[in-house]
Order: sequence, then structure tokens, then C-alpha cells
Amino acid sequence: MAKILLVEDDDLVRDMLTQVLQRADHEVTCASNGEEATECLRNETPDIMVTDIIMPKKSGITLISEVRTKHPNLDIIAISGGGRLDPSGYLDLSETLGASVSFEKPIDNTALLMAIDLLMHGQKVTDKAT
Amino acid sequence: MTPERHFWLPYFITAIALVILILIAALVRITHLARTQAKALKKSNENLKNEIKDRMHAEETKQKLEVALLQGQKLQAMGTLAGGIAHDFNNILYAIIGYTGMAREDVDQQSLVHKNLGKVIDAAHRGQDLVARILAFSRKQHHHFDPLNLKETIEAALSLLRPTIPAGTLLDFHPIEADVLGNKTQLHQVLVNLINNAVDAMDGEGTIDIRMSRVLANDTFLKQFPDARQKNYCKIELKDTGHGMDQHTMERIFEPFFTTKQVGKGTGLGLSIVHSIVKEHEGEIIVSSQLGKGSTFIILLPEYSV
Repeated sequence: MAKILLVEDDDLVRDMLTQVLQRADHEVTCASNGEEATECLRNETPDIMVTDIIMPKKSGITLISEVRTKHPNLDIIAISGGGRLDPSGYLDLSETLGASVSFEKPIDNTALLMAIDLLMHGQKVTDKAT
Repeated sequence: MTPERHFWLPYFITAIALVILILIAALVRITHLARTQAKALKKSNENLKNEIKDRMHAEETKQKLEVALLQGQKLQAMGTLAGGIAHDFNNILYAIIGYTGMAREDVDQQSLVHKNLGKVIDAAHRGQDLVARILAFSRKQHHHFDPLNLKETIEAALSLLRPTIPAGTLLDFHPIEADVLGNKTQLHQVLVNLINNAVDAMDGEGTIDIRMSRVLANDTFLKQFPDARQKNYCKIELKDTGHGMDQHTMERIFEPFFTTKQVGKGTGLGLSIVHSIVKEHEGEIIVSSQLGKGSTFIILLPEYSV
């Protein structure tokens, strides 16, 4: 079981992902943008942060670069539906900034859960998942 | 008559002769002047005509440039819009797939509900493919470009296509040796889309003529393209003998979701993707067409030289 901070601005996706993660026995805390996530991280450090990239107030890219400095051991999974610019570019950037793995939406939830398990067991997820 | 009485006669004759000579000289001069002036007038007329022609040509080029620029901006705006929609659509599809997947886990695997939920997921995946195609139009993907022999690239695409082309369709290829910097897969996609459209436009009967040539940097043909640079281009002219299209269709042909095909037969994304790929190669694409006679697509790709 992992403590997961889920950062996603879309209510539907956030709720669905929360259920998917809880069904896999993970403990989930939710934030709907980068600012809320920063606030959550002040109170508690999760095992893994799953974050969207394109969000209001504070984007996933800014969040990842800040988190990487303040919480160097926190595993980060970046997710993006892309579109406004180049999603693969965003995801590449998120990995460069320190995300352990990235997924393009719509994500195969089995692959996401598998990535979380691997990270929890201290393994590196090297291949970019799409 | 005595000589004394007519002493003035030789003077008179000389005077008359002189007057005649002066008149002749004046006439010659006037004729020469008239000819010179006529020549000058003709030249001036020609200059004027040329100037009018040049101005009309310049005006025509300006109009074409404005139309091309407007069209480019419109397509760019549509790309941005499509990209935005694609982003939100991916979230919606992800929610559909995710919730349906969970609901499916909760019901008996042998039940009809389980089977039907599977169909919802399949439909959402079809939506996902469509969004991927919209994104291909809207986003500048960072494809890897290599120096390519354009003739071989086209030949490879044609060999892929030949088995799918109806027997009544003749495919003529007139190549030249030229290299471009490009992505082979993307250029194959351009040809596949254009040839498939041509086949559809001919209802399986007719000729598709693909002709390669070179357009030099100083060619006035390039003036109609606002983004064209001062360099040599490889030209691919793809002509079909299909039913052609009207002006309205021609103006919108590269817009995403614009299709003349029956519902369910085309997404209207093929030519917008072709346009996007050509632009990504820093190239140009235009179309000309006549109803009942066929269409011609012209693609320009910057020539690559070491």
C-alpha cells in the first residue's frame, strides 16, 4: 500500500483515479491544482505524487520542479492529456525535471498501478509509458 | 523679249529650287520626327502596358499571398482549437474508460452487462484514436528528419499502395533525382492520403499522374507562397482524373473535419494531416481543380543539399 498525492484539475478524472487507486488499497489524498498540492505537501509527505501537467494556478511542470528540490526522495508520476501544446514534449520535460515515469491520457490503469508497485519496491520504471 | 528684260529669271528659278529643296528637307525632317515620335509613343505605350501588366500581376500575387496567409492563420487557429478540444476530450475519454473498467470488474464476467461495458470501452478507444489524429494535426510533433531520396521515398509509398488500388486506376510516376530532409513515415502518409483521396474521387476508374520536378529559388512560382524561402524546392504534382471539386470545397479542403465523403466514410482529417505534415517539413501545398475534370495537388519540399 502506498500513500499517494493525486493532483488533477478535472473532477471526473480525479474521482475516477481516486477510486482506481483506493481499490488497489492505496491511501489517496487529492489536490485539484499545483497550489493545493504544495499546501498538502507542507503537512504530509506521500510515497508517490501522481500529477497532471496542464492545470490552473500552478502547472504540473512548476510543481514537479519545486517538489524535486524540496522532496528529493518523492517518486513522481506525470500524466497528461496534452493537446494545447505537445503532450510528449511536456511529458519529456516532466521526466527531465525529475518525474520517475510519465503517461499520456487516456492511461491504461493497470499500467499505472504496476508503475506504482514498481516504485514502491524501489525499482526504476525506465520506459516512458504511453 | 530681250535678255535685259528677263535678267531675274535665273534668280527666280534658283529661288524656286531653293524653296523646293528647303520644303523637301523640311518634309524629310518632319517625317523623321513623326516616325521618331511614333516610335517613342509606341515604346511608351508598350511600357505603359507592361507597367499595367506588372501591377496587375503584383496585385494578383498580393491577393494570392493574402489568401494563403489568411488560410494559414485559419488552419493554425483551428489547430490550436482542435488541440484544446483534444486535451479536454482525452480527460473525458479517460474518465469513461476508467469508470467503465471499474464497473466491469464489479459484474459477473459472463453477464451481458460485462459484455456491453466492454463495448463502451471499445467505443471510447475509437474516440481515443480520433483524438490522436486531431492531435497529429494540431501539434508540432518533433519527428526525426533524415536526408531522404524523394524518388525512392515516393516509390516505396507507391509499392505499399499498389496492391490496394483498383484495377481500373492507372498510376503513372515521373521521378527526378532529388533529396529532401524529412520523415519517411510522414511523407508516406502524405502520399497514401492523397492517393486514396484521388482513388475515391475517380470511383476506381482513371489515371493518377505523379510528376516530380525542381523549382529554383528565383522562380516566380514561389511568390504565391508567403512562407517560401529563397531556396530550391522539389515539386511533386499529383494529378487525378476524378470528379474534381468546386471553389468552396477547394478553399476548405485542408480544414480539419471538412469532408465531402459520406458520413462514416471519412473523418475529414486526412488532408488536414497532409497539410500539417507538409508545413512541418517547411514545405507548401496547394490544390487546383475543375469540376468533372479532376484535381491537382502540388507539394513543394525544400531541396536538401550537403
